Amino acid sequence: MNVAQLLNGLAAGSLFMILSSGLAMIYGLRGVANFAHGALYMAGGYLAYSVASHLSFWPALLIAPFGLAVIGAVLELLFFRRLQHRSHIETGLVTFGIAMILERVIVLIWGERTLSVAPPPGLDRTISLLGVDYPIYRLFVIGIALTLTAALVGWLRFTRIGLHIRAASHDVETSAILGINVDRVSLVVVCLGAALAGLAGTLAAPYVSLQPGMGAVILINVLIIVVVGGVGSIGGAMGAGMALGVLQTLGAVWAPIVAVLVPYVALVVVLVWRPTGLTGRRI
Amino acid sequence: MSTSTAKRPTVSVAVGTSSSDVSGIGLRRRLLLRGVTVALIALVAGQAVPFIADRFLMSLLLDGAILALLALGIGFLARHLGLISLGHTAFFGGAAYSLAIAATHWDWGPTPAAVFGFGTGTVLAAGVGVLVVRASGMAFLMLTLALGQALYQVCIQTAVRPYTGAFDGLQVEYDMARTFFGLEASEITSAGIFWRVVWVALVVSAFGLWLIGRSRFGTVLEGIRENEERMRFSGYATFGPRLIAFIVSGAVASLGGVLFALNAGYVSPETLSFVKAGDSLIAAIVGGIGTLLGPIIGAMLYIYAQTNFNASGNLHLYTGIALVLVLALLPGGITGGLTSMYRRFRARLKGR
Repeated sequence: MNVAQLLNGLAAGSLFMILSSGLAMIYGLRGVANFAHGALYMAGGYLAYSVASHLSFWPALLIAPFGLAVIGAVLELLFFRRLQHRSHIETGLVTFGIAMILERVIVLIWGERTLSVAPPPGLDRTISLLGVDYPIYRLFVIGIALTLTAALVGWLRFTRIGLHIRAASHDVETSAILGINVDRVSLVVVCLGAALAGLAGTLAAPYVSLQPGMGAVILINVLIIVVVGGVGSIGGAMGAGMALGVLQTLGAVWAPIVAVLVPYVALVVVLVWRPTGLTGRRI
Repeated sequence: MSTSTAKRPTVSVAVGTSSSDVSGIGLRRRLLLRGVTVALIALVAGQAVPFIADRFLMSLLLDGAILALLALGIGFLARHLGLISLGHTAFFGGAAYSLAIAATHWDWGPTPAAVFGFGTGTVLAAGVGVLVVRASGMAFLMLTLALGQALYQVCIQTAVRPYTGAFDGLQVEYDMARTFFGLEASEITSAGIFWRVVWVALVVSAFGLWLIGRSRFGTVLEGIRENEERMRFSGYATFGPRLIAFIVSGAVASLGGVLFALNAGYVSPETLSFVKAGDSLIAAIVGGIGTLLGPIIGAMLYIYAQTNFNASGNLHLYTGIALVLVLALLPGGITGGLTSMYRRFRARLKGR
């Protein structure tokens, strides 16, 4: 194992961490596994491509998450809110349908070609770390993810809306009885979750290539991360996301066939022997 | 009556009928007779289809019937246990791959290879079932998705390339002199002739699932679906029935996979993919998982849509829209909607 591989693992884990924290928040609040999360991530990446090619990469870091927050608001108002009395499975399957629609619409707009985004000037060089030349951009991704995670945890712990989100994730009905406006909390959470997916897509754009299958591939991993980490537990999801990123990247070097199976085996082990996930509650 | 059964309260489907009217598995004789009659009529009527349909329609119907077997398996679990599976492609594709490996690498004839493929798919369903049937709801969905995708990932690895061909897929090649239940290679790939085999498989499977659903065992399954805990308190084992139901539904999907591999003569990793899992589930849901015929109709519609929209690449746009619309506006699917419309119509007639 060398430093570069470890850092690659951390960078992959950073993307998983951002994506899974948003998914875990939505899952915790609405009880719905959002199958459209991969498509939202994909939309973020493609949006970032357009912004980067018209303006530059930096505004994309704000514009893409904002655009995705708007899509999140539409999802919440049109689907999650109206279907909240239906079974969670049905709402989950609706998001599955939305994902299919969104992914196809993205391809219709941007085409089937594989697109790539150049890292912003200043971050497109490499830096020498412990004798290894390493791309600065990936360090930037890791830095953003860690900062964002710390900010998110602080926000949930120390603000009033954070308190409401934690309460509603724990028990929606009781929170509503105690005077928390669950619909408003849910709107904030879904918008934020979608914005985080958009940010992950933006950060990923210069780092992976943009192609029509990118959403589905990452979706399965992120769903697994959220369940393994414990549904409704944002900390658990972040930890599991980082762990999976590192394990997969290092495993891909040592034993590829084991590496691709890591998430699936982890999911089965966790759900069969500890249905509550590593932290959190039963799904 | 043995002591073990005497301890258990038995659930009788046929309330209010004398015991002489009830057949051994808990079905009213008249209902059983009607079921057998419908199945026989369907069986015979299906054999006439190749005389009416042209070659293009025939190949559509054949593809639809094969997908219908997969959707039927998924629908059975959903209807009787309320479990939504995204992993039945593992049994469909697993059976198809087993057949292809046996025929191509081990030089087996089509019949033993098909039996082997069906057996492997069913055994795989038993193995997966042991792991997943304790879960329910979202956990079940995730577990089946994960196990199905795990098989897909293994299948496309370079390390297993000598067996599965990785991304290239696997051509089904067997000794042309050997036949599949009397059908020669050219007849297996001909839609009009192979349709007869597939149709028999479909009708027999559907009838078998109907029988299971209406039997005493089916009532136990429904009890487990409604309230698993209460069934356990009432003295029923719930793990066994769930596992058996899962294996049965996996076996139906395996049958579909075997017939698919024989007819197509080629198995690609697509048969195991997330997309295929989603498509077959959508076919079942849009058709309606509340009825036996729903998944079959959904599968036929899906194949029809595939032929019409695949060229533009917009197939998944339309299937996605169909899924969202059905779930939001017509929860029972197409057949569910038709059934409730028929009931309302009949109630109005009676009300007059």
